[in-house]
Amino acid sequence: MDTLLTAEIAANSPRYRRRSSTFIDGVHDIPDENTSHMAPAQLYSTMSGRLFHSGRIAIVLVGLPARGKTHISVSLCRYLQWLGVKTRVFHLGDYRRATMDPNIDIPEDYFFVNASAPSVLLRQKILKKCREDIYAWLNHENGQVAIYDAVNPLAAGRRSLEKEFAKHDVQTLFLESYVADDKILQENARNVKISSPDFVGMDPDEAAQLYLRRIELKIPDFETMTETNLNWVKMINAGEAIKYNNVSFGYLSYRIVFYLMNLHIKARQTFFVRAGTSSHEDSYKADASLSDEGRDYARKMADTLMAHREKERLALIAKGGPNIPLRPLTIWTSTRKRTVETADYLKSLGYPVRQRSQMSQLNPGVCEKLSERAIRRIYPEEVEKHEKDPYHHRYPRAESYHDLAVRLEPMILELEREQNDLLIIAHESVLRVLYGYLMACDAMNIPTLKFPRNEIIEVIPKSYQNEAKRIYIPGLSLDIIPGSPEDIKIPVPASGVVSPMPGSGLASPATRD
Amino acid sequence: MARPRKTNGIGIGVEDTQICVVMVGLPARGKSLIAQKAQRYLKWLSIDAMVFNVGNYRRQDSPQPGADFFDNSNEKGERMRRAAAEAAVTDMLKWFKAGGVVGILDATNSTKERRRWVKERCDAQGVETLFVESKCDDEALVMSNILEVKTTSPDYKGLDPETAAQDFRERIHNYEKVYQTIDEDESHLTYLKIMDVGKQVIINRIQDYLQSRVVYYLMNLHIKPRSIWLSRHGESEFNLEGKIGGDAPLSARGEMYAKKLPDLVRESVGDDRPLTVWTSTLRRTIATARFLPESYNQLQWKALDELDSGVCDCLTYQEISELYPEDFAARDNDKYNYRYRGGESYRDVVIRLEPIIMELERSENILIVTHQAVLRCIYAYFMKKSQADSPWMAVPLHTLIKLTPRAYGTQEERYDAKIPAVSTWRGKGSVAKHEDPTAATDAIGKGGDLPQ
Repeated sequence: MDTLLTAEIAANSPRYRRRSSTFIDGVHDIPDENTSHMAPAQLYSTMSGRLFHSGRIAIVLVGLPARGKTHISVSLCRYLQWLGVKTRVFHLGDYRRATMDPNIDIPEDYFFVNASAPSVLLRQKILKKCREDIYAWLNHENGQVAIYDAVNPLAAGRRSLEKEFAKHDVQTLFLESYVADDKILQENARNVKISSPDFVGMDPDEAAQLYLRRIELKIPDFETMTETNLNWVKMINAGEAIKYNNVSFGYLSYRIVFYLMNLHIKARQTFFVRAGTSSHEDSYKADASLSDEGRDYARKMADTLMAHREKERLALIAKGGPNIPLRPLTIWTSTRKRTVETADYLKSLGYPVRQRSQMSQLNPGVCEKLSERAIRRIYPEEVEKHEKDPYHHRYPRAESYHDLAVRLEPMILELEREQNDLLIIAHESVLRVLYGYLMACDAMNIPTLKFPRNEIIEVIPKSYQNEAKRIYIPGLSLDIIPGSPEDIKIPVPASGVVSPMPGSGLASPATRD
Repeated sequence: MARPRKTNGIGIGVEDTQICVVMVGLPARGKSLIAQKAQRYLKWLSIDAMVFNVGNYRRQDSPQPGADFFDNSNEKGERMRRAAAEAAVTDMLKWFKAGGVVGILDATNSTKERRRWVKERCDAQGVETLFVESKCDDEALVMSNILEVKTTSPDYKGLDPETAAQDFRERIHNYEKVYQTIDEDESHLTYLKIMDVGKQVIINRIQDYLQSRVVYYLMNLHIKPRSIWLSRHGESEFNLEGKIGGDAPLSARGEMYAKKLPDLVRESVGDDRPLTVWTSTLRRTIATARFLPESYNQLQWKALDELDSGVCDCLTYQEISELYPEDFAARDNDKYNYRYRGGESYRDVVIRLEPIIMELERSENILIVTHQAVLRCIYAYFMKKSQADSPWMAVPLHTLIKLTPRAYGTQEERYDAKIPAVSTWRGKGSVAKHEDPTAATDAIGKGGDLPQ
């Protein structure tokens, strides 16, 4: 009986998901042991596969439903994976859903301290499978961090959890999301939960109230963390305050706190576009101005973006959303002339533009302006090495994508903190890396992501996984779309490694909308 | 969650933030040390920062007061201390008006009333406040701080250390009588509260990325004793020819330096404990580090590569002045900010070195083998060199530098390998291949700016 149930959960379990497209957020994917060894911004590797002088860590979430635990777990997982820490999220809710018939509600007393025997049994079964997966990940799959996303409401339960992990030589760091502000709770409940069929046709505020009342009834006992002998971080009111109790913090924990300081839960969009084209004499070293064609592109791109934002706003109002003005839009460019000048038109309309020197394109080194054939002739050995590992290999005097990702690391934190909508105008190499972070792309796929000039790529953050969208820019001259003369001609293996969803994916042309 | 950003009404956000970091805590809790380090870090990142030490203002009128001066019931003392705080805050706000970004108010600010007053003054001028409280009840730690730092304070100059420590303890006692820690009443403040050297920490209402960066930096500081060793690569073929940049191999004399480096390091370390070695990704630094013992863990950082001179790469200064005369003049005019065409400026190098500095702050003993411009930037961080001076500093080849951070500044030692090498230093306006660096106004080994 038990084995049957376990098999059932395994079959339905989301951790067995395989990546299908670079257009789908890969944060829940299982890394393919054969192709990926290093993460995008990983600084070094060790024999054990563990980083930052830390052993294995279980990050255990604490908090009632609608406190943003899933969002926090997934975002943190994305960041740690990016740094090269082998991290995976285990959402207990996924295991519950995989175990239970979707048409049957969980028992009323499922979360009660004095639950009935069948409820306790069910609870234990679900927990057991989830824990087994966590230990399998930490003990046999080379994982370093397991993020355990569950309510964990009671101090006694947390203490025994910590003891159990310690027995397996795993350090526990609790991460509580505590919300005392009713406004935040209401907003969370409205945004995340009211799409559920239970609340169809109800006034959103009423639905939110009802949902929150249900939580109180279902989980009547909750103790916020005050344990002085445990390691914990408490996020209060979605980041308004952070408290931590440090029994044995290492560097990794500070890094996590730094990340949490910049995390917020407000909805906002990030747009990626290429810089306009410049004259044919341009090169990495020359840093030329935009051509007439490039300026034309800058204008059409900006007009398309503004029309798109307004259209989305109206669509939201049509769906019953509030009639509020657009979120402010901030623009980031590199310090290269082409990206700065591509933003000039938007700047003239009053949008703030920030130049970031970290966002300069990948330095092509000796390969600059060489054709692929020339590179193959002059540097055959380098080409061979490059084809083996296009992400980490650097041509003489050049930067690798890995170097670029490390250089962009501070940008990642600022990207998370930004509350405005953000338009990033940069060279394709920079877009690849930043997109790779937001969509948790495998490092090996990053060098082949394509950003044709006639598309604006939009990334919409969602709590379980981010979504990407493409916006078509009409009326552009065809010869600026595929690439541009100043592109770095470093050979990369055919994009067969990436298997985009049929008809979409970054490698295929945009659909008109 | 941060409060909503100020906007100008048409969906365009306002950027510029000015932050007053207000230190809070009893004497001998390391406030001045934290203030000094934060200032050094921010200035190095080109964020205009300045410490306003209320004690320095107070000393102008009462240079060596006794402990009773700090008793709350001493009206004259109270008045004078208030006047000193007033003068410091007034100067700080003037400095913000002139464009300062992060002002650090170094004082005890130990009452709620005083903190409210500072916040009101800052609010009135649109300056954000970030309170940083260091609360420590560990008697032993406080004592060691008193003995190490405070007995060298100008307040006790010329006094017997025992008497000074005694008087200082009384002064602290007087502060304790009125001290109010930051608590729930002040939950509207943006603050970082560090209790018992980081055992418990509260971070409240962080408003922007810059504040989070400052807080993260403060979390990474540690006080374990350690040293950092810096060396340029051995003399390269390009050094001999007077060319810049490139990826040339070592010269014969450069090879000699590489062979001697392990002995030089061992002599400096004093024992056999292994160091971690960081090199750049260029041939000349890797070759220089290749004879170091096996037990030394070695890492290559792209961020440690030499300043990228763009179109001028592999040229001599003579050639640059002929091919790009305007660039040559512009660079001499403002060497820190000049960005080579298609290359980097010193400012760009500092930005890419920031993760290295964060890593260095949290690490213990590290040996870095890198290049002239990069070494100038790292050295400038530890020794508080100005942006105007640091790009002109003479950094001789074939010399090992040992830096040991101490409470009030960094201690420096040099080990000359006694292997001749060309000079790569160049004075303003010069196109010479190998100029005599004795004309340099600033050089490694002349020590850092004195602490305030």
